[in-house]
Parts: sequence; structure tokens; C-alpha cells
Amino acid sequence: MIYLDSAATTLQKPPAVARAMAQAVNRLASPGRGGHAPAMAAAETAFRCRQAAAELFQVENPEQVVFTSSATHGLNIAIHSLLRPGDAVVISGYEHNAVTRPLHALGAEVRVAEAPLFDRAAQLEAFAQKLDGDVRAVVCTHVSNVFGFVLPVEGIAALCRERDIPFVLDASQSAGCLPVRMGELGAAFIAMPGHKGLYGPQGTGLLLCGGPAEPLLQGGTGSASALQEMPAFLPDRLEAGTHNMPGIAGLLEGIRFVRTQGTERILAHERRLLRPAGEALEGIPGVTVFQAEDPAAQAGVLSFRVEGVDCEAAGEALGAQGIAVRAGLHCAPLAHRSAGTLESGAVRISVSAFNTPRELHRMVQAVARLAGHRK
Amino acid sequence: MVYYLIVCRSLTYAQRTASALERAGITARVLRSPKVIAGEGCSHSVRVAERSLARALLVLERVGLSPKRIYIVSGGGDYQEVRL
Repeated sequence: MIYLDSAATTLQKPPAVARAMAQAVNRLASPGRGGHAPAMAAAETAFRCRQAAAELFQVENPEQVVFTSSATHGLNIAIHSLLRPGDAVVISGYEHNAVTRPLHALGAEVRVAEAPLFDRAAQLEAFAQKLDGDVRAVVCTHVSNVFGFVLPVEGIAALCRERDIPFVLDASQSAGCLPVRMGELGAAFIAMPGHKGLYGPQGTGLLLCGGPAEPLLQGGTGSASALQEMPAFLPDRLEAGTHNMPGIAGLLEGIRFVRTQGTERILAHERRLLRPAGEALEGIPGVTVFQAEDPAAQAGVLSFRVEGVDCEAAGEALGAQGIAVRAGLHCAPLAHRSAGTLESGAVRISVSAFNTPRELHRMVQAVARLAGHRK
Repeated sequence: MVYYLIVCRSLTYAQRTASALERAGITARVLRSPKVIAGEGCSHSVRVAERSLARALLVLERVGLSPKRIYIVSGGGDYQEVRL
């Protein structure tokens, strides 16, 4: 199997992840629920994970690192903490449904800062134009999950700071391979999954909190138990219910792997894989590749279409040859609309630290065969 | 044995507190607060030796961590709040 769907989930993990999870099942109870050794061991593991994440993402203290079940979970908390029905919010044209659906359900007034694909200057200018006095929050992805477009989030965050508008970053595709610095961005929230670039297991995520937050769930926290209100302090305020300790133990090892490798090295490796693959795909007649001219404007993800071949059929054909890719709209119809691919969809390849040039070469060969057989 | 309990607002805060003290060479252990001093229900405390409290408070002030309350625990198991 050649696995090229890491933008959905990294399948290959450092071996320490599975080992830590298996040990956690047998040895870790629940943080804050008892003073016995298994509960305190769980508390220690959870704290180490918060500390590791705080250091990786330059968060001032580990209490601001909240465990979630996914980036979607974190984004929902952020959105419900900052916005009320009718509030104006500005988003990019490359957002995932994890952003747009909660905003739609809430009844927020969504304003899209539209810009051409891979045009970072135009994207920044579009945000500058949209940020007027009515805007209650900005929610923006760091990297498009469809096209790998790296949005100019440092500039967008600076605009928000100047105007005192809370900024929410969706770091789903960037955490683990691009610099994500809470302090420098001054973000209100940064949401990320554990199971993509952090190499943790599915069902884990982190929400980095820069300010007050409202819980989506109420329940036991192992703290301030005599009160009926949720605790006012983080992380307890946002962590009702029993923690996913096997997941957190695995996530800790994933984060340790990223810190050992270094995000710059992982990013360089991924670009060394994708750039030549994109160029090779562009050389195949009938294949349209969405590749940025400026390498800095793209990370980890590359999409393409094969003329005359339905994107799902292309994905199916590659899957039958043992090459795992993702086709369709990638839960991001807005991104496809922005790039003009809403009708056709696209085939997406996405890589991790574990992919090799040979695997990408085999994928290109398979696409060439597919394009050669098109009707 | 007489020792002090530094009551913290949360488990994570207690862990931060203990971590800061350990880094400064002060032995510190996180434990669940005894019910009589827990305040609003379950909470966590950091236990430090009697001789270490003054230095512990200096360390915590330096790193910006404020104890919620501090109790001295006598050999007989009585808890008395320490006014700072």
C-alpha cells in the first residue's frame, strides 16, 4: 500500500505511539479522578502532553492546552465562545466544513474574503478589505486541506490584532509541519487534530486557548465538584467527562516525534516529495495540476484532475492499484468553489514524514496509465 | 511529620506548581486535597516539606504562580490555614 492520504489521517505512525497507547489501556486511569497510582500516572501523562504541545506551539502555559476529540470539536468550541447568532464573521474562501457548518448552524453572518488560489498577497488584501467595525471574529485555515495553499495567517492575525478582532486559526493541515506560534499570532484560539501532522491517534485533538472560552459540554471534571457551574479555569472548563487517555498517551509520543524531527525538516521532506511529483503530473497530457508557482505558498497537499475521468473513478482506480488517495470535495466545497473545481471535484495526494520519493514516482506512473486510458 | 499543602485551583495548576518547584530543586508532590480543605469540592494540592515553604513561595512568585491557599499539616493530622 502506498498511502497518500495524510491530510485526512496519517496512517504510518512512529512505533512509540502504538506502544504508549497499549500501555495506557492497562496502566492509566483518569486524571483528577482519584489519588491512586493509575489516576496520578494518567495525570502525569496528560500534563506531559500539554507541556509538549505548549512548547511546540509557544503557548505560555500548559493550562491553555485543552484536549479535544478533533479539530472540528475545537473549532466548535471556539466559534461558540466568540459568536452569537447574527454576528459577522470573516473567513477565507478555503475553509473546511468544520468551520462553515458550525457558523451556518449558529446563524452567523458569514463574509468570505475571496482570493485566487495560491495568491497570498491578494488573500491578505481581501481580509484587510473585509475587516470593518462589525466583525466579531475571523476564522481562517492555515493550509487548505484541498490544495495545500498556505494562507498568510501571520498577516491576517496582525490585521486582527490592530483592529482588536479575535482570530481563530484552523491548524488542521499545518500543525506539525509549519510554525504555529500562539504567542506571535495573538490568536484567541488555535484548533488542530492529533491524528494528522502530529502523528497521534484518531479521536484526539488540541485547542490552544488565548482567552475566555465557553464549554460545549457540561459534566464532571474532577475539580470544584460542589459547584453546579463548570469551573471557570482552564483546561477543566472545556474538558467535561473522562479523558481519552490511550489517545493522549499516543498523542504525546506523536508530538515527541515531531519535536525530535523538527517541523522544518518534515516540511522540507514533504516539499521534496510533492514538488517533483507535481511537475511530473503536469507533464502528463490530460492532467491538470493545482501547484503553486511559489513553493512557499503550498504545503503537504497536491490536487489534480484527469480530463475525461471522474475524480472518484480516478481515486478508485488508484486505490485498486494499492495507492490510497482522496477524491471528491474533501469536505470543503467552499475551497472547491474558490478554485473553480466545485463541479468536477479533484484527486488529492497528501504526504507525511514516512513517504518516499519512490512511492510518489509509482503514483505518477499510475496516473499516467490512467490518463492514457481515458476515453 | 509537619508539612505544608499548597492548594491549587486545578490539577493542571498543581502540576505546573510542582513542576516549577522540582525545577528549583524543591521536592514537591501533587495529591488530592483532603476534603476539609478542598473548598468548592475536589481539588489538588502540592505537598512540600516544612523547611521548604519559604523558598517555595519565592520560586512561585518568581514564575507567576499564586497558591489559592496554604495549610500547615501537623503530625496529628490537623490542618491550619497559613496567612501569608
